Amino acid sequence: MKSRRILYLFLLPALALYIMFFVIPTVAALGLSFTDWNGISSNIPFVGLDNYKELLKDNIFHKSVGNNVKFTLVVLTAQTALSLVFAIFLMKNSKLNVVYRTVFFLPMVLASVSIAFIWMFTYDSNIGALNVMLGNLGLAKQSWLGNSKIAIYSLAFAQIWTHIGQVMIIFIAGLQSIPENLYEAARIEGASAWQTFRYVTWPLLIPAATIVVALTTIQSFRAFDLIFVMTDGGPAYATEIISTFLYHNAFINHRFGLASASAVILMLIIAVITYTQSKLLASQNKGM
Amino acid sequence: MKNKKLLSIVALITVFALLLTGCAKGGGGGQAQGGKTTITFAHWRPEDTEAFKKIIAKFEEQNPNVKVEMTITPSANYIANLQGMLLSGEGVDVFTTFPGSQFETIYSSNAYSDLTNEGFVKNFEPALIKAGQKDGKQYAIPYQLVYNIPVYNKALFAKYNIEVPKDWDSFLKASETLKKNGIIPIAFSIDVSPQQFINSMIMNNAPEEDIFQKLEAGQTKLTDEWFIKSLGALKELKDKGYFQQDVPGTKADGALALFAQEKAAMLAAGSFSMATVKKQNPNIQQGLIAPITTTEDKAVWKGIHTSTFMLGINAKSKKQTEAKKFIEFLSNVDIASQYANETGQMVTVKGAKYSTPELQESGKWTSVKTRFQPMYTFKKEEIKTAIVTAVQKIQQGISVEQAAKEAQIEVDKVIKK
Repeated sequence: MKSRRILYLFLLPALALYIMFFVIPTVAALGLSFTDWNGISSNIPFVGLDNYKELLKDNIFHKSVGNNVKFTLVVLTAQTALSLVFAIFLMKNSKLNVVYRTVFFLPMVLASVSIAFIWMFTYDSNIGALNVMLGNLGLAKQSWLGNSKIAIYSLAFAQIWTHIGQVMIIFIAGLQSIPENLYEAARIEGASAWQTFRYVTWPLLIPAATIVVALTTIQSFRAFDLIFVMTDGGPAYATEIISTFLYHNAFINHRFGLASASAVILMLIIAVITYTQSKLLASQNKGM
Repeated sequence: MKNKKLLSIVALITVFALLLTGCAKGGGGGQAQGGKTTITFAHWRPEDTEAFKKIIAKFEEQNPNVKVEMTITPSANYIANLQGMLLSGEGVDVFTTFPGSQFETIYSSNAYSDLTNEGFVKNFEPALIKAGQKDGKQYAIPYQLVYNIPVYNKALFAKYNIEVPKDWDSFLKASETLKKNGIIPIAFSIDVSPQQFINSMIMNNAPEEDIFQKLEAGQTKLTDEWFIKSLGALKELKDKGYFQQDVPGTKADGALALFAQEKAAMLAAGSFSMATVKKQNPNIQQGLIAPITTTEDKAVWKGIHTSTFMLGINAKSKKQTEAKKFIEFLSNVDIASQYANETGQMVTVKGAKYSTPELQESGKWTSVKTRFQPMYTFKKEEIKTAIVTAVQKIQQGISVEQAAKEAQIEVDKVIKK
């Protein structure tokens, strides 16, 4: 019994870190969301639910939520589908596949600010590689980050480029854990490639897919550095998402209370979506 | 067995001790080794690093008991870092801020020491340090003097026989000549230019200096004639093709490169960009030009200036004496001249001597009737953002009336709060 107590003691450092870096900031953000603190003053006026009421009416906040949903859906759909395709092709541990996997994973080890600069130059309307290529093909140049209708998709593409390798590795791990004899059985039964994927691969890949979907959703909702460096939410709020809205209010407008309220809402959105996704995928798993 | 348990407990305590040590506040810049007092100096200009290093070395030589630690955060993240440092009480001793809403926020948080009675205040041009005053007291001292009007390429103007325009018609004519000769008249970035260029558009359409205070008080609106005319002037330049292609997709570096490469004749920025342009193209001859949106006789103002990089002392700092000594040192005319010539920025210190052609060019504007940058007279940053967004919308092709209406909606929201 005593030795068990000692074992519990070993959990304390991790628990202390969790409380210090997660629980306390979360509770503090919740508390601050009921104030109109400017971020510096020792005077922290309590305003009750005013910040939440303001956010409900704030069209820039609404726009940032809309942009965030759009950004997340594009990234989630395209990144999950593409990374799964790449994972299927690069699943076998051949030397060439290992090289390809490394190449795909490479953006993950680069600093996000460096990635943002790479894409800013690529998207540059005058000297960017993309427009130069379009020009050589005789196609019209685009304002990739300046056109409010396409800027959010340009950013989503950069986000996908950055994270696709990471997601692909998760899928490869999932695919490699599927026993080979199941595929043999499917072959003996005369299953087509699609049937093999539908009834063998996909059901056993659901745990990996659950992780991928949750991870991508969280990453996309919390995306900040790429957008901050590349467009800073502009032009005219066309790429403002909740995290940039939060930053602008906290550090430019000096409205920590409002920023904290938007952080609480962001946390709730992520929690609800992630919970729903995991439930849906779990039910799909059970139904198999 | 007992020994093992004891070992486990000791290990746990060690881990906790290490954690606590790691999480404990750092040195905090207090009494350093050898009895020296360390003060921290925070600012947002990485381009000034070398110049400040030399100045700090001189200061430390003259004040052997004081050490200055410089903390630089680029302007986009500066205020976030500064907030953190001010919150921690003794995180910073001397710091810089922008005038306007940033100064107002720090002042209203009682984070500034009162510098009114310090002798070094007299070393500065009184008219240029008003931005750091509040209720008759001096809380921050602007160190830099900036002209927020476009920079132009003198050689290109001379090549096409263009005289510096003195009214709107001649400004349009000059732009047309440049365009016809394959030169982009104005390089405009979507991030820096809106806040800079709109000042010139507003200055003579709303010549009263308190126009934005009236806007914040709800006594005037962005849908009123003065702002519609200001946005209209910008729209006219856009519609006539006097900006480069794809302004919404051009960032400050891109616009500056177009100007430095002499593809554009004017850069919608300010005197602060001249040193960077010079680094990119050492042969370029630069001057400052203020677009006048009226006829010459109706132009009340000939340009825009800002006194910025405002030096202040953290009210919570326990090293007030040393911090004041450092600002006093910076206010010395020789040190201020050294700073100006090495960084390419004009200063607010009386009698500063400028040796570079760009500074001498900017220096000519001290005798011109210029107005303090309207965009830095706001107390609320959200209103400034609303105006910047209106300019960005014009560059995206939205109508003047629509952009003004949407901006006023944002202003109304702030006023209601």
